Amino acid sequence: MAIQERSWIGRPVPRTEDRALVQGLGQYVSDINFEGQWVMALVRSPHAHARIARINTEAAKKLPGVHAVITSQEWENLRRPLPGMAPIAPPALAHDRVYYVGEPVAAILADNRYVAEDAAELVEVHYEPLPALSNAEEAAQDQEILHPSLGTNVVDRVQYESGAGRGALAAADHVVTATLRLGRVSAQPMEPRGIAAHYDPQNQTLLVYHATQSVHRAQERIAEYLGMEKSQVRVIAPEVGGGFGVKNGTYPEEALVTYCAVHFQRPIKWAGDRFEEFLSTYQEREQIHHVELGINRDGTLVALVDTYYQDNGAYPGGGMIVSRTTARNLPGPYRIPHLAINGAAVLTNKVPQAPYRGAGRPQGHYIIERMLDRAAEELGMDRIEIRRKNLVRPDELPYRTGIPDAMYDSGDFPQAFQDLLEAIDLSAFRKRQAAARQDGIRLGLGVANYVEVSAGFGFEGVRLRLLEDGQVLLSTGATGQGQGHRTALAQIAADTLQLPLDRITVVEGDTDQIQKGIGTFGSRTMIMAGNAARVAGEGFIAKAKDWAARALEAHVDDIIFQDGRFSVQGVPSVSLDWAELARKIAPSGEMLIHEDYFGSGTPTYGFGSHGMIVRVDERTADIRIERYVIVHDGGTIVNPLLANGQVIGGTVQGLGSALYEEMIYSEDGQPLTTSFLDYRLPGAVESPDIEIHHRDYPAPSNPAGYKGVGEAGIIPSQAIVLSAVEDAFQDRGLKLDFAPVTPGRLFQALEEKGGFQ
Amino acid sequence: MVPITLTVNGVKHALEVEPRWLLADVLRDELHLTGTHLGCEQGVCGACTVLLDGRPARSCLTLAVTASGCEITTVEGLAKDGVLHPVQEAFWQEHALQCGFCTPGFLMTAAHFLENNPNPTRSAIREALSGNLCRCTGYQHIVNAVERAATIIREGDSHAISQD
Repeated sequence: MAIQERSWIGRPVPRTEDRALVQGLGQYVSDINFEGQWVMALVRSPHAHARIARINTEAAKKLPGVHAVITSQEWENLRRPLPGMAPIAPPALAHDRVYYVGEPVAAILADNRYVAEDAAELVEVHYEPLPALSNAEEAAQDQEILHPSLGTNVVDRVQYESGAGRGALAAADHVVTATLRLGRVSAQPMEPRGIAAHYDPQNQTLLVYHATQSVHRAQERIAEYLGMEKSQVRVIAPEVGGGFGVKNGTYPEEALVTYCAVHFQRPIKWAGDRFEEFLSTYQEREQIHHVELGINRDGTLVALVDTYYQDNGAYPGGGMIVSRTTARNLPGPYRIPHLAINGAAVLTNKVPQAPYRGAGRPQGHYIIERMLDRAAEELGMDRIEIRRKNLVRPDELPYRTGIPDAMYDSGDFPQAFQDLLEAIDLSAFRKRQAAARQDGIRLGLGVANYVEVSAGFGFEGVRLRLLEDGQVLLSTGATGQGQGHRTALAQIAADTLQLPLDRITVVEGDTDQIQKGIGTFGSRTMIMAGNAARVAGEGFIAKAKDWAARALEAHVDDIIFQDGRFSVQGVPSVSLDWAELARKIAPSGEMLIHEDYFGSGTPTYGFGSHGMIVRVDERTADIRIERYVIVHDGGTIVNPLLANGQVIGGTVQGLGSALYEEMIYSEDGQPLTTSFLDYRLPGAVESPDIEIHHRDYPAPSNPAGYKGVGEAGIIPSQAIVLSAVEDAFQDRGLKLDFAPVTPGRLFQALEEKGGFQ
Repeated sequence: MVPITLTVNGVKHALEVEPRWLLADVLRDELHLTGTHLGCEQGVCGACTVLLDGRPARSCLTLAVTASGCEITTVEGLAKDGVLHPVQEAFWQEHALQCGFCTPGFLMTAAHFLENNPNPTRSAIREALSGNLCRCTGYQHIVNAVERAATIIREGDSHAISQD
């Protein structure tokens, strides 16, 4: 296996990023300080919906250390809608109305954050409160319309129908109906959002350090908002402390910081705090589904009919992607001949929705998996059996789900499920479960299957440059937030260029380093930038051969590249490695650079099965996870250490949204969970050790066979937790229809079943 | 402004601070030790954990004036002479960090924990880390790393003893 030993791809290499990070030497936006910078703090709306009568900023302006107090009453330019959010975008600062608690109303620029926050408290805003919309299904009735220019609160509808649609229900032996809900969750990356900007008046250029998932999109938005050329705006994402989707879109702070930097010709920095992360960073998941599942007596699925409402908050955010992706994920890995899906994204007076890790995939799978459990109960069938019966078989691949452009193309879903059940040892568990119940201990098993649909649009690029010392600099626009791209992309390039890993340096997220880019979200970076690294590497070698031909005084067609060396065919004794080639190029003053792109309109389809065993304390409704097993397909794996990190990390995040995390709003739109004390993230004690079994079926739709892995873990989490808890109380007929199932919610549900017995 | 002295990573600093300034802000803004991160400023997430006279403390809930005269160790003080501390080495090898933002707090907590618990069980490690939040890793690799660091430290110690 000499070839495998030489390949960097597939090796669990510890990350090149980490030597700096473990020493606290990583530079995040909040660590970057410009000479003479002013710090921004914001006055945010305390009302979910109100008219702004007037704002008095006099006292704030007089405070020593305050340089400016900005409102859009005075600064009409800041009333303009933010770019990149159709069909209705918020202004940078609210001027006549506020639509959610946390919406920015005034900006303070001061010497430091202490003074800026003092000043923020001195700003007097007189509000006339208005009734707030806090229920999406009611808001969809349009009895009161939030944004009259839209004419409706339903900002987007998604409709899919396949086969005979709803009509097929009549032909089914049974129709199982349910209303299933998902609570609102918040991504909460450990680093809050932040941005710092420095304007150079002489060159009329703006340098922006931005905790963003996409530097090129940020560059476009900033240039558009400021009326500058893109070439005048350089956006750098330094270390980004987690993103999970919510550092990807349009936010008022981006417009405010960059606008003020240009206007005042002063460096401006805003580093958001945790409270702001709860009040203003876009949220996700909140939906209500009315579902009808047609099923035959033998357990065969006939039709899925689902009408759902997504509480999209006050503005689109990126929520429309979420509700559309939900629809596309409703069939899961199951064969459902007839579909009728009707989803609405509805505006309310809450923080806007935007894609958060999973972005509709967990919602879609939650529905089908929960409905399979309900159907099994109705038919008196085993929950395992009904899944086995309906999983798409390998002989049916490629399989069209009935949703346009969704065609599963690889793998073996039933085998993965079977492997999972064997790993869990189902029959042994059932015996243990029965024995434990005799002792008053409740154990429950949850299982769920999923498909992880990734990428499927756009492109990503890689630019390679040979440095004078023979190292290769690899740049990409696919800005990471901790995934380990600098290592993974270097592994791919190292194989193509036949170089040791430490001879390749990866720079991600700098618009000056590569012309175009889309960014890191939707588990797309290995698929796009990974393939681009290979394509660019091949082009880079071709250009290098030109230089080698000159240096070796031969025809380029006679140059061969082997074992990291360029030589003339038939004369292996005379050769150049990359460092020697670099020295030959140096005197010319020219540079060896190649930039290339990879694009694909076909998604990749990873898949897998999760199984978990919970232990529930019937008195306290405390849910502990005893065991968690995953069978996971992620295509060709570049670095198993990083892939496991993604799967485990995603799973535990999912356990948060299944067990602990819920953004609770009062009926008048007040967020009630605005700190880590009220909104509980999973900690080390609650989180399980997870067993992962890999099944790596290469993706047929891209040359390297990569698939997404970032969302695999989080997709089945809410479905599987509810399923496991129900299984623990199967004898009591417990039915759960809301995720998360917090101890409080479970306690209530058990009370309805007669409480502790 | 109030005069204080802080000994940070073995270096003594005389500083003038406002009474309300947080220790974390003074470390970051006055001493430019930005490895100490602010994750919540509510004392929950633990990203800002430093050792204050040898014990883990939330630098976001500690006023700099109350730390006057104290010895403080930050993440920048863990490595000695360019050699990483065993917890740093183990976090790196075990892929115990992704975005790295929470990492300094975990490292300080883990380093202190292992001083008093040379051979911990996984559940004891999880308990010890329960005051630190990580949103990326799901903790499993962090627990692996602390186990590995414990081994490195034990083997280092026995090595040192056998050399004596």
